[in-house]
Amino acid sequence: MLRNVTLVFAIGFLAAMVALAVFAPLLPLPDPVKMDVISRMAGPSWAHPFGQDEYGRDIFSRIIHGARASLAVSLTAAALAGAAGVIVGLVGGYFQGWIELATMRPLDVILSFPPMLLALLAVALLGPGALTLTVILSILFIPAYARVTYGEVLVVRNHEYVEAARALGHRPLRILARTILPNVAGPVLVQFSLVVASCIVLESGLSFLGLGVVPPTPSWGLMIRGARAYMHLDPMGIVWPCMALVFTVFSVNRLCDHLRDVFDPKARRVSFSPASAIDEDDGARGREAAAGSATDDMLLDIRNLTTEIAVPRGSIRAVDGVSLKVRRGEAVALVGESGSGKSMTGLAIMKLLPRRISRIARGSIDYVTADRQRHDLATVPLNRFRAYRGKEIGMVFQEPMACLNPVYTIGYQLVEAVTAHARLPKQETWARALKALKQVGIPDPERRLHEYPHQLSGGMRQRVAIAIALCGKPSLLIADEPTTALDVTVQAQILDLLEQIREASRIGLIFITHNLGVVAEIADRVVVMYCGQVVEEGTAEEIFYTPRHPYTRGLLASVPKVEDKTGGNKRLSSIPGAVPSPLALPPGCRFAPRCAHATDLCNAGVPALEPVSDSQAARCVRWRELA
Amino acid sequence: MTTPVLKTTPVLEVENLQKLYYSSGGLFSGKRKPVKAVDGVSFSIARGEVLGLVGESGSGKSTVGRTLLRLHEPTAGTIRFDGEDITHASGQRMRDLRREMQIIFQDPFSSLNPRSRIMEIVGEAVDLRGALPKDEREASVIRLLEQVGLSRDHLHRFPHEFSGGQRQRLNIARALAVRPRFVVADEPVAALDVSIQAQVMNLLVDLQRDTGIALLFISHDLGLVEFIADKVMVMYLGRIVEMASARDLYSRPFHPYTRALLSTTPSVDPREARARKRTLLQGEPPSPANPPSGCTFRTRCPFAIAACAAERPAYRQVGEGHYHSCIRDDISGGEPLRAVA
Amino acid sequence: MNYVVRRGATAIATLFAVASLIFLLLHLVPGDPAEILLSSGGIAPSKESVEALRVNLGLDKPLLEQYITYLGNITTGNLGTSFQDGAPIGDEIVKRLPRTLELILAATFISVLVGMPAGVAAALRRGGVIDGLCSSLASFGLSVPVFVTGTLLILLFSQILRLVPAGGYVGFADNPAQHIVYLLLPAVSIAVGLIPVVFRMVRTSILEFLEKEWVRTARAKGLDEPRVLLLHVVRNSLSPVVTVLGLHMGTLLGGTVLVEYVFNWPGLSGMLVQAVEQRDYPAVQGIVLVICLLFVLINLGVDLLYGMLDPRVRYK
Repeated sequence: MLRNVTLVFAIGFLAAMVALAVFAPLLPLPDPVKMDVISRMAGPSWAHPFGQDEYGRDIFSRIIHGARASLAVSLTAAALAGAAGVIVGLVGGYFQGWIELATMRPLDVILSFPPMLLALLAVALLGPGALTLTVILSILFIPAYARVTYGEVLVVRNHEYVEAARALGHRPLRILARTILPNVAGPVLVQFSLVVASCIVLESGLSFLGLGVVPPTPSWGLMIRGARAYMHLDPMGIVWPCMALVFTVFSVNRLCDHLRDVFDPKARRVSFSPASAIDEDDGARGREAAAGSATDDMLLDIRNLTTEIAVPRGSIRAVDGVSLKVRRGEAVALVGESGSGKSMTGLAIMKLLPRRISRIARGSIDYVTADRQRHDLATVPLNRFRAYRGKEIGMVFQEPMACLNPVYTIGYQLVEAVTAHARLPKQETWARALKALKQVGIPDPERRLHEYPHQLSGGMRQRVAIAIALCGKPSLLIADEPTTALDVTVQAQILDLLEQIREASRIGLIFITHNLGVVAEIADRVVVMYCGQVVEEGTAEEIFYTPRHPYTRGLLASVPKVEDKTGGNKRLSSIPGAVPSPLALPPGCRFAPRCAHATDLCNAGVPALEPVSDSQAARCVRWRELA
Repeated sequence: MTTPVLKTTPVLEVENLQKLYYSSGGLFSGKRKPVKAVDGVSFSIARGEVLGLVGESGSGKSTVGRTLLRLHEPTAGTIRFDGEDITHASGQRMRDLRREMQIIFQDPFSSLNPRSRIMEIVGEAVDLRGALPKDEREASVIRLLEQVGLSRDHLHRFPHEFSGGQRQRLNIARALAVRPRFVVADEPVAALDVSIQAQVMNLLVDLQRDTGIALLFISHDLGLVEFIADKVMVMYLGRIVEMASARDLYSRPFHPYTRALLSTTPSVDPREARARKRTLLQGEPPSPANPPSGCTFRTRCPFAIAACAAERPAYRQVGEGHYHSCIRDDISGGEPLRAVA
Repeated sequence: MNYVVRRGATAIATLFAVASLIFLLLHLVPGDPAEILLSSGGIAPSKESVEALRVNLGLDKPLLEQYITYLGNITTGNLGTSFQDGAPIGDEIVKRLPRTLELILAATFISVLVGMPAGVAAALRRGGVIDGLCSSLASFGLSVPVFVTGTLLILLFSQILRLVPAGGYVGFADNPAQHIVYLLLPAVSIAVGLIPVVFRMVRTSILEFLEKEWVRTARAKGLDEPRVLLLHVVRNSLSPVVTVLGLHMGTLLGGTVLVEYVFNWPGLSGMLVQAVEQRDYPAVQGIVLVICLLFVLINLGVDLLYGMLDPRVRYK
């Protein structure tokens, strides 16, 4: 709201300023250099709305004419520097080797001068004046453009569409002009507005020092310089030009921010109005209670879990009525494609959903502690939930590159996990950290303790992440795509490690993945998710050998197998269409639009998860006919 | 146009291809160490043939694809296209040749210019065949879109309006627009969901069969390669360790690395998955900046002996068109590696 | 260690290039340098004075010889003598340099002290009242040129409120309390432009780091929220803050020129303005060289600090 007001102000102010400056000679303004010593420092009057300065000149007229000087110098310099800088940056960035060196290195020398100093050096040589100023500013800001362009070109050049243009056989000049330039135009335009602002500031600064625009030409810097000596007598004389300068620079900056938002959608603030922001503990308040005691070896019992996430156009249910059970020592695989809600389910259990924009809307997450007490995690407030994290439930994430903090040693991050739940002597904590590293099969663990994450390979980092998750001896481990970023030979090692850990400590495992092969390797039970719902669940054998839901069948059939290659007519069976947007879900069965067996019945309402056997269930109204 | 193609005339021949990268240090970083991304790779692709190239990350498989099209300059070796040595072909000649050789990239998001409409993206490629009148050009673009399962409604949209699978279809349309005879597909479905993967794979197979183009299919997924390829090469740390017809490679693998890969690849059969030993290789591939001497696989190989470190192993032929580079004849080659370690 | 050596070598190379450019600038301008230096307002100088200046500056010697003499002089710390009074320029610079350094340090200190907490607070309550207020203030602060800030501060605090003197300088040794009073307004003037820079960087990097998986890992470990924020978010944001401070050193040094002028602060930059006004080229050359040296050293310091803060840089 405020942002829009300032933007409108900025555009309006700049438009008015430019228009006044351009048409100043045509306007019925008093002569800006005509002195009137008798009425010096006179206050505002009809003839002189802003009053008169120390020589009795009209301040308003001088401000308008000052804008002429300031804007002319700044815009010309910014444009000239832009033209030169963009060419240098494009050429330097696109061609590698000596051309890059010859174009970009000299700019580093200009950049090793503070801009003000280079300007002063040149003024010392050439003497002050508007022309000198324009020339200096143009040269001064070439590197600013060149660097931005260069940086953008380096990014864009690595995009495959540029390689595709080369692969098509386009000429370098055409690629630069047609493929690369449009993509760097945004940042360059942003840079242009930045440079204009910098030029205005530098010009006024130099004029203020008496080294820029030469009197009697009116200039804001000169006006401030002149009024400074008399500011104890006439404070407003100095405030007017200051305001003109500040508002102009502010408007240009504001416009620049806006351009940045327009051209860099990533930086665009997705802000939620306070009304749509969600209080995470909202659903939990006051309902915390031990949900009774459990008799069997149940570890986690999720019922009807629903999460809501606020998005710019409303709110979506990434997880919609999911129920899930995990027993001690059991490995449950949560399978689904992107957008299925499988990762959200894992994050919801750990209360790691994105803050302030998402919450658990409904459902219970019963966790059974070693003393057989049930606790509904959904109602445990965040500050108390900390006691569960790491100690009862550990979690491992997908990206081994990003899951460890790059600025701390492996040892430090392990020790942190140990001390989060136990106060121990220092020696003891390090001994435990070492033991944890040994447990996950890291060779030479003593040395690794003192290394940083970037010194380890991907597989090793994932082992460290697992060690961290296991430090507090949790009963449940949630692994969110832990092998997706790894190669198959390393993936096999990690899967083996998880299996060993499970056998050794009867830990319950929730394994979140999109890879059906991995599921077949390690899961006891499988839960298949689609669009936030569980569409089928069962033992691994049931899911792989007698799948009931058409989606499960389709997924299994899409995995290439040897028998698909029959003669000259090789086909993979595939699921047509694509996953629907979470903002426009089908009214009935969410898989119906892609399902070969869909009938009107499927669109009538969301089907229930029907039991197929004691351990298997499918969310399909036609599973009996199709079996 | 399903004219039977003779699958013996090579359309592309590669001999001893090498690509070194220099880690880019600063002005004063001292001696720059070369990284051997591709280290002496030789093979050929016949007309209408699909050659699979399998390897893990860092094996150099993508570099091979890009170097073939000279998107990256080869350090050594020769590349012949249709019998013509193009290793040092001039910029102009290369631009002409690229109309015959195309590439489909992995990332469906960065491979289409976000500021161009589909009409432009595909139309630009159509233009390279020669200038067409406006309506014919548009008709040509529409034909291509329909060929890859899109429609004329998509003509004036921007890439961001498409899903990952559709973008990959657009990539394929663009590559086919110049009517190439050879296409490199670099992990074309790796970024897609399983159900979408199958759609795009089927499209690739259909188009390849209909147009008779030669295809180099690069992937880390042995299942996909087996599905599409006639011939398969396995790459490890910049070198080809085994090459064979697809049927041979999957039924009678020789090299320990191939055998390990085959048996670690998860299968969608829980009983089978549980019956076998999974971890067959310890550790991770060494850095290509500092590869082991002799056989580069020896540091992870369960069968390594002292002789493996001595010199780079030569290729041995074990069947028609079936070569591998392991010096040990005494291990039971010819079957997937089971619980040997 | 290797990293330190490498950065040091780059710094020396940059200095060499800068010194050469300063030397060349005089000769790059079309026309006879001696004549250019003496001409003012379109009045041609007399032949004798031009000739005298030429001999004085050694401009009559071959270019290469001049260059070697120049490099030799500056490496031994000889920056020549002033046109105005013939005093050695080096001595005056040595006297004034610490005052400028003090100004920079004080301004940086204030900026970090205000900018960091504001940035953290705004990022943690993104979209909230504090965020809105601080962000608006920041865009405004960025738009006020430093000499305007200085002038308006004088107008408010010394002319209207009469709290502090309008400008001047008292040595720390002479009167520490008074010294601080004189330092306050100039330092704040510079800081007003620098605080928004620090604020924005902290805010952006904290928002970015909050999304990182290592933060989720830290939470999943069971660390309490203040520790997660302090150790895994704020600690990581130190590196970008140091970087952005380094990037803004140029503007900062330029700012001192204006601020020293506004507040009559007898630092290096004030001396520079005077020298430019009087077209005392040897003095200008000497001061610019020293400030550039300072600039390069500060950047070197920033790089080394960055290496300390981020192990990835250190071990590269």
